[in-house]
Amino acid sequence: MSEAAHSNLHRSAWADWWEGTRRTDIWWTLAWFDILLRYRRSMLGPFWLTLSMGAMIGGMGPLYASLFGTELSKFFPHLALGIIFWTFFSSMVTDSCNAFIASANYLKQGYFPISLFVWRSMSRNLIVFAHQIVLYLPVAIWAGISLNRSALLVIPAFLLLLINGHALGLLLGLVCTRFRDVTQIVTSVMQMAMFLTPVFWLPESLPDRARYILWNPMAQMLELLRAPLMGNVAPAYNWYGILAWTVFSVVASAMLFSKYRRRVVYWL
Amino acid sequence: MASITLKDVSVNFPIYGAGAASFKKTLAASVTGGRFGKETGVAVVQALSGINLELKSGDRLGLIGHNGAGKSTLLRTLAGIYEPSSGQFSRVGSVASLIDPSLGIEPDATGLENIMLRGLVMGMSKKQVDHVLPEISEFSGLGDYLAMPVRTYSTGMMMRLAFSISTSVKADILLMDEWLSVGDAEFTEKAEKRMQDMVAGSGILILASHSPDLIAKECNRVVRLEHGRLVEA
Repeated sequence: MSEAAHSNLHRSAWADWWEGTRRTDIWWTLAWFDILLRYRRSMLGPFWLTLSMGAMIGGMGPLYASLFGTELSKFFPHLALGIIFWTFFSSMVTDSCNAFIASANYLKQGYFPISLFVWRSMSRNLIVFAHQIVLYLPVAIWAGISLNRSALLVIPAFLLLLINGHALGLLLGLVCTRFRDVTQIVTSVMQMAMFLTPVFWLPESLPDRARYILWNPMAQMLELLRAPLMGNVAPAYNWYGILAWTVFSVVASAMLFSKYRRRVVYWL
Repeated sequence: MASITLKDVSVNFPIYGAGAASFKKTLAASVTGGRFGKETGVAVVQALSGINLELKSGDRLGLIGHNGAGKSTLLRTLAGIYEPSSGQFSRVGSVASLIDPSLGIEPDATGLENIMLRGLVMGMSKKQVDHVLPEISEFSGLGDYLAMPVRTYSTGMMMRLAFSISTSVKADILLMDEWLSVGDAEFTEKAEKRMQDMVAGSGILILASHSPDLIAKECNRVVRLEHGRLVEA
C-alpha cells in the first residue's frame, strides 16, 4: 500500500495470478466438494439440476412458442440453449461477486493467491452447467437439427466465455468485496439484462429501430454460443464485438487485480 | 536456512462496515465534493506498529500479550496473509501455519475426504496427500469412523482428525496460535510426542499463547505485544 512497504514475499501480479491458477488440484477439488456436499443427502444428487432445468424448459417451450406464434420445432432448441446458457452466465457473474467473501475463512487463515477462488467459483458453475447442457441433446434430436462443421465454432466461443468469466470474476470479486452494495447492483442488472437479451424471444422479432439491443455483450456472447449448436453461423460482427469486450474486461480486471490483489484480505 | 526479518513493520486495518463500505456513500462523497465525505472517513486500526524482529534457525519465539494486542495479526503477517502497510518484511523458508488447525474441514464430508481437503489447503499436492493418507489415518486412530461424515464426530474426534492432518507437514517455520492439545490421556501422549517431533524438525517456531508455563517450556525467547507494539520480555 504505502511506498515504504517492502516484502520479499511480494510477487508480480502475473506470478500471483499464475500461482493461484496452476493449483488446479485445490480449486477443482474445492469446487467439486461444493457440489458434492450440497447434494450429498439427496437421492438424485446433482441430477436435480438436470431435472429442474428440464421442467423449466419443458414447461416454457410450448407456452412461449404459442405466445410468440412460432413453430415449436424452431423455437424449442432456441429457448433451451437460451435458458441453459443464460443460467450459466448469470450464476457465474453473481457467484463471482461472492468469490472472496465466501472464501473469507481461507483467505484470513492462510496465504492463498486470490485467483484460485475465482477458478473455484467458475468451476463450480461449470459443473452445474455440465449437468444442464445434456438436456439439449434430446431437444436437438427431437427438433431434427443437423450440425455441420461450423458447429466447431462453439469451441472458441466457449473459450472466450471462460476468459470473460474469469476476468469479470476477478473484477467483480474485488469490487464487491470492497463495496458490498455492488453485489445487489449486479444481481439486479443481470435480472434486467435477461430481458434485454434474446434468451426467450427470437432476435428476428425485434423491430429494426430496437436492434441496438443486440449489441449488448451478453446477447453477442449468447449468439456466438447458440448459433453453431443450431446449425447456423453467427454474424461476424458478434465476434468483433465480443473480442473488443474481452480486451476491455481483461485489461480492466488486470489493472484492478495488480493494484488491489493483496488488499482483499483487509476488506474481508 | 530459515530466517525472518521485520524492520519497522506496521499493519493498519481500515474498518469498513460502520457505514463506510457502502458504494452509495463513496459516490455521494465524490459528487458532493466532500461535504458528506467526512462520513466516509474510514476508521483505521493500527494492529501492529513499528515491529522490529529478527529470527534465525533454532529460535523458539513465544508471543504473549492481552487479547487484541496483535498476536494473531503478527502471526498472520508472518504467514504472508497480510502484506505490511509499511516497513520491511523478509522471510526465507517454507511455512506451516497452524493458526487454525481445522481450516478447510467440511462437516458434511467424510474423515478421509477431509484429509484430502485439509491437506490441499495446507499446500500439499493431491499426490502428496495420497502418499501421507495412510499414515494420517493410522495416527488419528479413528479407524472406521474415517468413512463417516465429520459432523457425526464428537469434538474430541474432530480435533484428533484436524491435529493429525495439520501435523503431517514438514516446514522450516512453524506458526502456532496456542499449542495443539487434543483428546483423551492416551492420545494426548501420542500427540505431544508428534508435536515435539514437528517442532524439533522445524527451524523456527513462533508460538502465541496465554500460558506462561507453555511458553517457558517450549520457547527460548519471549516477546510481549502491547497495543500492537513489541516489548522484549
